[in-house]
Amino acid sequence: MSIRAEGMVAGVLRRTWAMTWKDVTVELRARERINAMLFFAALVLFIFNFALGPDQEKLREVAPGLLWLAFLFTGMLGLGRSFQAERENECFEELLLTPGDRESIYFGKLAGNVLFMVTAEALILPLFGILYNLDIWRLLPSLALVAFLGTVGFSAIGTLLAAMTAHLRAREVMLPLLLFPLTVPVILGSVRATATILAGGGLGEVSHWLKLLGGFDVIFLVVCPLVFEFVLEE
Amino acid sequence: MEERTVVASAQWASEHGRVGAGASLAAKVLGAAAALVLAAGLYLGLVVVPPDAVQGDVQRIMYLHVPSIVTAYVAFLVVFCTSVLYLWKRDLRFDAVAVASAEIGVVLTGITLATGSIWGKSTWGVWWTWDARLTLTAILFTIYVGYLMLRSFAEDPRAGARYGAVLAILGFLDIPLNHFAVYWWRTLHQPSSIIRPGGPSVASTMLVPLGINFAGLVLLSIYLLLERVRLERIRHRTIEVRLKRGRRG
Amino acid sequence: MGNWGFVGLAYGLASVALFSYLLLLKGRLRGAQEELAALERDSGRRTR
Repeated sequence: MSIRAEGMVAGVLRRTWAMTWKDVTVELRARERINAMLFFAALVLFIFNFALGPDQEKLREVAPGLLWLAFLFTGMLGLGRSFQAERENECFEELLLTPGDRESIYFGKLAGNVLFMVTAEALILPLFGILYNLDIWRLLPSLALVAFLGTVGFSAIGTLLAAMTAHLRAREVMLPLLLFPLTVPVILGSVRATATILAGGGLGEVSHWLKLLGGFDVIFLVVCPLVFEFVLEE
Repeated sequence: MEERTVVASAQWASEHGRVGAGASLAAKVLGAAAALVLAAGLYLGLVVVPPDAVQGDVQRIMYLHVPSIVTAYVAFLVVFCTSVLYLWKRDLRFDAVAVASAEIGVVLTGITLATGSIWGKSTWGVWWTWDARLTLTAILFTIYVGYLMLRSFAEDPRAGARYGAVLAILGFLDIPLNHFAVYWWRTLHQPSSIIRPGGPSVASTMLVPLGINFAGLVLLSIYLLLERVRLERIRHRTIEVRLKRGRRG
Repeated sequence: MGNWGFVGLAYGLASVALFSYLLLLKGRLRGAQEELAALERDSGRRTR
């Protein structure tokens, strides 16, 4: 690689990291986001247990769906707030003034969102295992892979839409309304793969779902940063 | 940015003579042609073609249901292309065609859902099943209703056009992924096969009313598109006049 | 509901949907044209 190209890549990585680090440190100080996400997830898991009744068999059947319900609603909450600081403090203009490509901003925000969502998932999963009596520890690597692929796909589109809806009226409604139909492949793939894994199937049995999730991630990790600049321009 | 789009808007609005005139001759001809073709398709599908051996007369709903969704897909393809072109060239005419095509696509998808549901009730006894086709159509409907809502909630029309274009690109890329996901979900034991939504093979006598209704819907869609774009042109001219007044006054 | 009842319902709903969209569009066009005409009349008066 030429020196100039190396310099450019280094610059992108540096700016991306700066964006992520800013979000993480802000969050670590106030812990608003992660607290809300965890509380909400716990609420979902408990309420559905009450709603579905004590039948263990029925609970096992719907467990993978419930797990992802908790993950996705939690992720939604986190995404909804990912541009909140910029919106409240009117920092959008500042973001645009900083020299450098829009892609760094996107990837920086994306990394932050994925980090928060994965952290929440890591805390929700054991709770889920306990409440619904499932042995997750043995299956952890497979579950983690599916969760990661799904989280990245969900967050890739979610980060873009969060930036887009940050300015809008009724943004709390618009973000889920736009995000969920677009991420149906992620939702279906993650839930079905998780269900097969929890039922004892190996990764080989869910290879088609993994390919779908992977393909989804690749496509939108390429397209979203490219169109992100159109969302940010004023 | 504002100057550039206003100038583009002004050029477009004053280009083809008086904006306040009625529908163009081309539009009127298309509208009449559409009516004729659809009437022919209606006659063929409801009267001429014999009833299906298995399903009986309710199978005739297919002559409306299938052309409707295919035309909707064409409309959404147009939305995708014009959205890309708008982001690239920033010509508001592309955006006008995009929003017009999206509205028509949503109407047609709604018709597809309703006719699919009615067909389902007549053959399976229930108004809704989560079968692959109905589910996919419902998702498609939601995506483009979201597109129209996003545009209307944007604080100014230029932002709405931009956001809409981005969403349209995402939505269109999503369609094949949705197909795989939903079809695999509904056919658990054959994940490697890609089921084509054709269903049982279509007899040649069925192809004729299908084709004619499709052509009729396309003609109707183009007519509606021209009128809807005309509305958009009038709206842009209104904005331009207001801005000029604001500057002078 | 008989067989032809379902067919009628389906075709009927579709026709209503398409006609409604067309009529609403015509209405929107008329409204926008009137608004523009009024605006242009006012602008004309101001510059004189």
